[in-house]
Amino acid sequence: MKNAHLLAMLALAAATLTGCGPKKPTLHLYTWSDYLDPELVTAFEEANGCRVKVDTFDSNETMYAKVQAGSGGYDIIFPSSYQVSLMAQNNMLQPLDKSLLPNVVANFDPSYTRVILNPEMTYNVPYAVTFTGIAYRKDKTAGITVDSWTSFDNPAFKGRSSLLNDFRETMGAALKSLGYSLNSTQPEELQKACDVVLRWKKNIAKFDNEQYKTGIASGEFVLGHGYSGDIAQVMLEDPENIGFAFPKEGFTAACDEMVIPKTAKELALAHAFINFLYDPDNACRNIQYICAPMPNSKGIAKLPQAYRNNPAILPPAEILAKAEVLKDLGASNALYSKVWDTIKATE
Amino acid sequence: MKRNPFPLIMLVLVLAFLYLPIVVLTSNSFNLSRFGGTWEGFTLKWYSQLFNDSQVWAAFINSLLIATGATLASCLLGTTAALALHRWRSRLQNIHYGLIYTPLVIPEILMGISLLLTFTAIGMNCGLHTILLAHTTFCISYVTMTVLARLQDFDDSLIEAARDLGANAWVSFRRVQFPLLLPGIISGGLLAFTLSIDDFVITFFVAGPGSSTLPLKVYSMIKHSPKLPVINCLSTVMLLFTFALVLTSRAFQNLKQPKAPNGLKNGGHA
Repeated sequence: MKNAHLLAMLALAAATLTGCGPKKPTLHLYTWSDYLDPELVTAFEEANGCRVKVDTFDSNETMYAKVQAGSGGYDIIFPSSYQVSLMAQNNMLQPLDKSLLPNVVANFDPSYTRVILNPEMTYNVPYAVTFTGIAYRKDKTAGITVDSWTSFDNPAFKGRSSLLNDFRETMGAALKSLGYSLNSTQPEELQKACDVVLRWKKNIAKFDNEQYKTGIASGEFVLGHGYSGDIAQVMLEDPENIGFAFPKEGFTAACDEMVIPKTAKELALAHAFINFLYDPDNACRNIQYICAPMPNSKGIAKLPQAYRNNPAILPPAEILAKAEVLKDLGASNALYSKVWDTIKATE
Repeated sequence: MKRNPFPLIMLVLVLAFLYLPIVVLTSNSFNLSRFGGTWEGFTLKWYSQLFNDSQVWAAFINSLLIATGATLASCLLGTTAALALHRWRSRLQNIHYGLIYTPLVIPEILMGISLLLTFTAIGMNCGLHTILLAHTTFCISYVTMTVLARLQDFDDSLIEAARDLGANAWVSFRRVQFPLLLPGIISGGLLAFTLSIDDFVITFFVAGPGSSTLPLKVYSMIKHSPKLPVINCLSTVMLLFTFALVLTSRAFQNLKQPKAPNGLKNGGHA
């Protein structure tokens, strides 16, 4: 079986190299790893008589560097919102033809408009929305309610919590806990936020972006500042003990979008693929695969109960209202990195 | 006499430092827990996920094609370069040696970005062929150096003897010099193969749509994948593969260079 599979792949690869295989159009996607249900890709290939090749990147910055250096040929890219703005400014994107995207027009959920940076959707269609919040062990919080950023101050969790090692996220959390916007560029507000993070730093175990999931899953950590998509995956494996809290002061929202770069070759196919993903059934399947909502009202309505009731996957409307989108701050980014350096350097 | 325990302690520490991470990685590939923090039981499910992941396999095929192509091309070019460097000494050959030596010491990132800029400047679309060109470029140096080392032990009088006995330049190369160099060429080729299949930095820059190699795929999975243990499985498989290659390469390097080829010994003048 496996050998046959491997042989078929070899034959396919050989056919591509020599160029004597049947000429099918190929759609090239450039996205995050394991961020698209492979069965949907197969279904699209069969329905459209084409081939879909998926390449993956690990950060918006590396993707941007490569595409800007002239590595063209991708038909759909999946960058985060702030990167979309930058790419649009640099004239790297193709305006979308809405008449080819009837599913997007019909199924887009307007309640998500607030958390999307480019709601006019000239160049972009939202793919998935994620939030940052606090993952916690229900069995180890000893009756303390976790619903606020101030939990990181709580001595009960001393040495058993982690904050994200990301200056926008963690500074954002501190700014929100003080009641400011998480896109603040006021030096005095940033200074106050700096003091808050320094206070938290004395109470937490570490700043971390990856291992906190392990810590929460194993119960070594009680609190973990993290991304909803990641935590939703952990929660599905241990729903009894792991919870996800949206801090009441507000929290960040981020969106990954689908864009068609100027250098794309298969324009019609690219539009067809975006439209295909916005089909309610397909959207529903993909949301379950990636554990983050695509703002597609009919697709969301079809989700099974376990997914619909998981707040990390589908936050209720009143919670969604407290989300704020991280914006690209341009020159003010320097202010943040300076404060962050201070935080990192202080013992 | 009491033996000094210090060397033994150092040996154990060094071995632990080098191999413990590999042991942890390998055992985690069999761990039921997705996060590897705690041992939750033995499983092969990550391996079955790995073998059913068509993207990983497509990347693996790409890596294999590129490594094979780059190895063959660099063996041919590298051996030729080594022969030229060995036979002729001139100022031009010194420059040649410098050119061959540079890719060994140049930072990979510099090579990657300069190759990408070259390819875009001449309007070449990136893809498997650009990765192949890039890999061949740095592999040539390694093959040349390995073959050159072999040539330094080579007894030139063997060629003279062959020519004396009536072999022309081509026959004396094919029947005398080439068989003696072959272990060097093969071990250089295996070195090139492992380097090519492992390379991340240069490949990252020159890869185009649809030409992701295994290291590129693994890197993006580490940063962004809910299937982390699959990477452990993949790394285990790759480790075994690399160990096998290195061992073979060592075996070829250790082949004793015989004093004279068998053909000459037996069929010579009595």
